[in-house]
Amino acid sequence: MALIEARGLAKAYDGKPAVRDLSFEVRPGSVTGFLGPNGAGKSTTMRLMLQLDNGAGSTTFDGQPFSALRQPMRHVGALLEAKPFHPTRKARNHLRMLAAANGLPTSRVDEVLRLVGLTEVAGNKPKTFSMGMGQRLGLAGALLGDPHTLILDEPANGLDPQGIQWMRQFLKALAGEGRSVFVSSHLLSEMALLADELVVIGRGRMISSGPVSSFIEGASHKSVLVHTPQVPELRALLAGREGVTVETGPEGEVVVTGLDAREIGDLAFDHRIRLHRLAPQTATLEEAFLAATEGDEEFQAAVVPHPQGPTGWARE
Amino acid sequence: MNDALRYEWTRIRTIRSTWWLTGSALGVALLISVLLGWVGHHDFSRNGASADDVEGFGPFLVTQFAASGAIPSLVGFLVAMIGIFAWGHEYRHGMIRASLTALNSRQALWTAKYVVVAVWVAVVSLVAMLMSGLIGLVYLHRWVTVFDGETWSVIAWQTLSTVLLTWLAMAFTALTRSQAFALVTIFLWPLLIESLFNVFFQLVPGLRDHQDVLRFLPFAAQRRMVDVLNDASSTFGEPMSAVGGALVFGGVAVALMAASYVLFAKRDA
Repeated sequence: MALIEARGLAKAYDGKPAVRDLSFEVRPGSVTGFLGPNGAGKSTTMRLMLQLDNGAGSTTFDGQPFSALRQPMRHVGALLEAKPFHPTRKARNHLRMLAAANGLPTSRVDEVLRLVGLTEVAGNKPKTFSMGMGQRLGLAGALLGDPHTLILDEPANGLDPQGIQWMRQFLKALAGEGRSVFVSSHLLSEMALLADELVVIGRGRMISSGPVSSFIEGASHKSVLVHTPQVPELRALLAGREGVTVETGPEGEVVVTGLDAREIGDLAFDHRIRLHRLAPQTATLEEAFLAATEGDEEFQAAVVPHPQGPTGWARE
Repeated sequence: MNDALRYEWTRIRTIRSTWWLTGSALGVALLISVLLGWVGHHDFSRNGASADDVEGFGPFLVTQFAASGAIPSLVGFLVAMIGIFAWGHEYRHGMIRASLTALNSRQALWTAKYVVVAVWVAVVSLVAMLMSGLIGLVYLHRWVTVFDGETWSVIAWQTLSTVLLTWLAMAFTALTRSQAFALVTIFLWPLLIESLFNVFFQLVPGLRDHQDVLRFLPFAAQRRMVDVLNDASSTFGEPMSAVGGALVFGGVAVALMAASYVLFAKRDA
C-alpha cells in the first residue's frame, strides 16, 4: 500500500494565495499526473506535501505525515528540482551521503546508478553532467530507499526523446510494481502516454481530478467528421433533427454533433448516401488541458503579432 | 539523530572544500611555526635567550601568535570557513530540500551539522597546534620548554575558541542563508567593525571614558581566551579572563545559534 492523501493544502506568499484548499489522492499502482499552468502552485503543493514549506492542510503517506516516517527515503522518494546536488561532490558520493542518512548500504548506491544508467560516470562531478544526466542522478537519489511512493517535479526536464521514453517506461514499470507515482510535467503529449490519473490545478485551486480518459472526454465535443460526395443530401437528412448540429469543417467535410458514428453510418445507409470517411473527434490532452485552464494562467504572454510586421508598414 | 550524524559525516568528508581548507590551515600552521622556529633558533643561537625572550614562546608558537592577544588565529578562521560552507552549500546549490527529504527532522539536521563540524575543526585545530609545537621543539628545545602547563592550557582554550568561532560563523550563514555574506562578515567583523568601534570610542569625547566596555565586543573577548601577555584582573574585568572571554564570545555564538535554529525550524526550506 502506498496511498497519498492530501487534505486542504493551502499556502499564501505575502497574502497572495499560491495553493488554495487542495485535496486529492494518489493511489498505488498508478501514475498520477499533476498538471497546471506556470505558477499554478504545483511545486508549492509538492513542497507542502513533504512539509518543506509551511502552510495549511495535511498530507499522509499510508496514514502518516512525512515528518513521522522513520528513514523517510525508504517510504517516499522525491525529486523536486533540477540538479539538487553540489557540483563538485562526485555522483557516487552524493548518493552515499543520502544513503547514510537512511541506513542504506553502499551496494544500493551502485544498484540505483546502474538502474538509471550512470554507472560509468559515477566517479564524475555533477558539474560535468548534462541536464538529462543531472535528472537521472536526482531520480537515482529518489530511488535509493526503494520507496513505495515517488514524488517527482518535472523529471523529464532536459531529457532527449530517448531519455523521455526511458523515463516514461521506467515510471510505468514502477507504478506497475504497486508504487504510487505522482509526477508533474509540462509535456502534455508525454503525460497523455504516462499518466493513468490526473490532478489539474490552476491558480492554486483544483480544476479536475480523476482518470485521464474522463478528463479528455469531458473536453471532447463528441463530434464526428464525415467525408461524403453527397454533402447536400446528408445535410438535408440531418437538418432539423433534435439535438443534432451540422457544421462545415476546414476542408469542406461535414462535422456532425449529437449523433455518434454508428448512428450517422446507419442513417446514411438507409437513405443511400455514400460515405467515404467517418471519424469520431476526441480532444487531445493538450486541448482538454487548455480548455480546462483557460483564464487560470498566472502569467500571460502577449498575443502573437500579426505577420504583417510592425505597425506602419506591410510586408511586400 | 544517528542518521543525521552519518549524513553530515559523509557530507563533510566528500566535499573538496573541506580538504583544501584543512590542508591550508595545517599548511599555514606549518609555515608560521617553521618560520618562527627558524628565526628563534637563529636569534637565540647568536644572542642567547633571556627569560623575557622566551616568555609565552610556547603558546605563541602553537597558536601562530594568537596567544599575544593582538591578532586572531589564522588557522581558526580558515577552519571556520568549513562551517560556513556546511550551511552555505545547502542554500547555494539547492541541497537543503534534498537534505530535508533525506532527513525529515530539522532539529536533527541542525544539531548534526554543528556537532560534526565542531569535531572536525577541533581535531584540525589540535593537530595544527601540536604540529606547530613539535616543530618549535625541534628548533628551540635548547632554550624553550614548548609544551609546559601554560602551552597546554592555551591549546585547550584555542581549541574551544576555534569551535566557538566556527559555530558563530555557521549561525551567521544559516541566519542569512548567504555564504558569501557570512565569509565577508566573519573577517570584516574582527578586523574592521570592532576596530571602528575602538576608533569611535577614542574620538568621541563623551565616549572616551567608557572605552572599557569595548572589552565586551565579541572578538575582543575571544582574543582574551588565549592571551598570555596580559594578566586578567577578574572574570569580566579589564582585561577579562579566559573564562570571561569564553562566556562573552560563546554567549554571542550561542545567541546567534539559537536565532538560527528558530528561523531554520520556521522558514520554508
